[in-house]
Amino acid sequence: MAVQAAERPPSGVAPIRRDSTLASLVALGLGAVALTTIFIGGLIVLGAHGFTPSEALVKGFKSHELDAVLLAGTGIGLLAVGWGAARFGKMTTKISREECIAGAVLGGEAMVLGALFFWFVNGDRVELFAVNYLDFERLGPLIGDFVNGAKNTIILAFSSQFFGIILGLALAIFAISKRAVVRAPARAYINFFRGTPLIWQLLFIGIGLPIGFGLNIDTYKAGVIAFSLNAGAYLAEVFRAGIQSIERGQLEAARGLGMSYMQAMRYAILPQAVRRVIPPLMNEFVVLIKDTALIIILGLSSAQRDLMNVGDQAVANDFNATPYVMTALGYLAITLPLIRLVNVLEKRLRSGLLGVGA
Amino acid sequence: MTSQLLEIEKLNKWFGEAHVLRDIDLTIEAGDVNVVIGPSGSGKSTLLRCMNLLEEPTSGRVVFEGREITDVRVNLNKVRTHIGIVFQAFNLFPHMSALGNITVALRKVLNLNERDAKERALKELEHVGLEERADAYPGQLSGGQQQRVAIARALAMRPRLMLFDEVTSALDPELIKEVLDTMKRLADEGMTMVVVTHEMGFAREVGTRLLVMDDGRIIEDGVPKEIFSNPRHARTQSFLAHVL
Repeated sequence: MAVQAAERPPSGVAPIRRDSTLASLVALGLGAVALTTIFIGGLIVLGAHGFTPSEALVKGFKSHELDAVLLAGTGIGLLAVGWGAARFGKMTTKISREECIAGAVLGGEAMVLGALFFWFVNGDRVELFAVNYLDFERLGPLIGDFVNGAKNTIILAFSSQFFGIILGLALAIFAISKRAVVRAPARAYINFFRGTPLIWQLLFIGIGLPIGFGLNIDTYKAGVIAFSLNAGAYLAEVFRAGIQSIERGQLEAARGLGMSYMQAMRYAILPQAVRRVIPPLMNEFVVLIKDTALIIILGLSSAQRDLMNVGDQAVANDFNATPYVMTALGYLAITLPLIRLVNVLEKRLRSGLLGVGA
Repeated sequence: MTSQLLEIEKLNKWFGEAHVLRDIDLTIEAGDVNVVIGPSGSGKSTLLRCMNLLEEPTSGRVVFEGREITDVRVNLNKVRTHIGIVFQAFNLFPHMSALGNITVALRKVLNLNERDAKERALKELEHVGLEERADAYPGQLSGGQQQRVAIARALAMRPRLMLFDEVTSALDPELIKEVLDTMKRLADEGMTMVVVTHEMGFAREVGTRLLVMDDGRIIEDGVPKEIFSNPRHARTQSFLAHVL
């Protein structure tokens, strides 16, 4: 702040000037208007024509009103970029500079989106695409199937994570043993399941084992087994990192009180380690949720189908790809809240709020 | 068995290429307050940690109450319940309250029931003047308070020997006194102690026996006041000149 002292006005009360200027607000406003025009304007035009049936949507896509809105948004975006870039250098306060940059970037984003949409809706494939991917009317009767699919996805992921945690914890404890003969099998297991494709593991357990051993494993159970074994390997690494992040003194204090190694783990080390790895544990859960989609390779009966399988079956039945869009939305509905939760927990852990007590 | 609580014979410790303890012979008598001083890297802490085998000696014998505890057949977990240790970094369990820190070993190692464990833990907290902070977590306590909880945690096991490993070195100057006072009281009560420290005042006032270490050897062994006023060894003289 010493640098600014020279520029301080004689009456000098505010060493750091925080005020916006008219020019910077105009830049910010232009950028915001450009992006809003593309999104809200586009939705209004499409809404006026109707999102269903797909013929109405196509009409909306091909309407001159949409062209006008997209061109207007792109134009305003160009204006925002020009204005922001030109004024940026003249701004004398931090805030006004940031506003110029933000306005120009928003304008640039509007330009890219506007141009892309414009190119898309004026192309000769727009009708083909809308009919195949955006025929939302077809989704109505499928809602029940999708809800059931989401339920199965969650059950698959949740039970696999549950068994994976138990397996991973045991593997982690073996993997940090000071005895090589205990460590080696755990390492071999972890490396094998991390080093081969999950889809190979699924096929081997779902098809290879039943043939090789004459077992009759239900595909759903085969899926849970494969996902659990796989998750166990990854979670073992998460737990190992967590355990090894605990200060050595904790183990020494516990041993110094006469606890056995296992008691020290159970009462002193693991409670701390587990708390520390909750965010990466949940990250692995998000990964697992998406990985369960691979069970499609084994084929499931209609009641057992997960989100991906329900969508794929619906696409195959009608030869229309709109259910794929729904499938993606279904996964996002499950994963986004979890991702958000991980971020909140990480922030809290970092600030130490979970470190003490609780 | 006379009053010899702990005997160390021909103890050697190597860390890789480093010879940290060289042929140490030492006998700890019951009731003594043994203060170990010496320059950093002289092997003080390693010697202390060899006494409850938290550090495994490379060679030599450690005998506690007439039983050789370096014998692999000895159940070290049992032995360690009789030897309390307090660390420089406190090492309290951060996920447990002060009370929980003390009761966990009472319950899981000594198999006391919950009520007896709690009763004994509260008594030890009172002993170190922290009975009203029983429910506080380590993160909510000052360094001095944490260290006193750590002392209470060790004392609750009713050890016959207490080891202190530079327990005031991580503390702010104004917090050192409360910990030293606690240790002094313990010494006055007759506890056998081995104290690795840089607190020369404590060594002089509370210690009944002073051990000076240098380069893995005990180079001076005697009454603190005599060594302070008339150090025999040149290395002791220069060390004392630097710290006093």
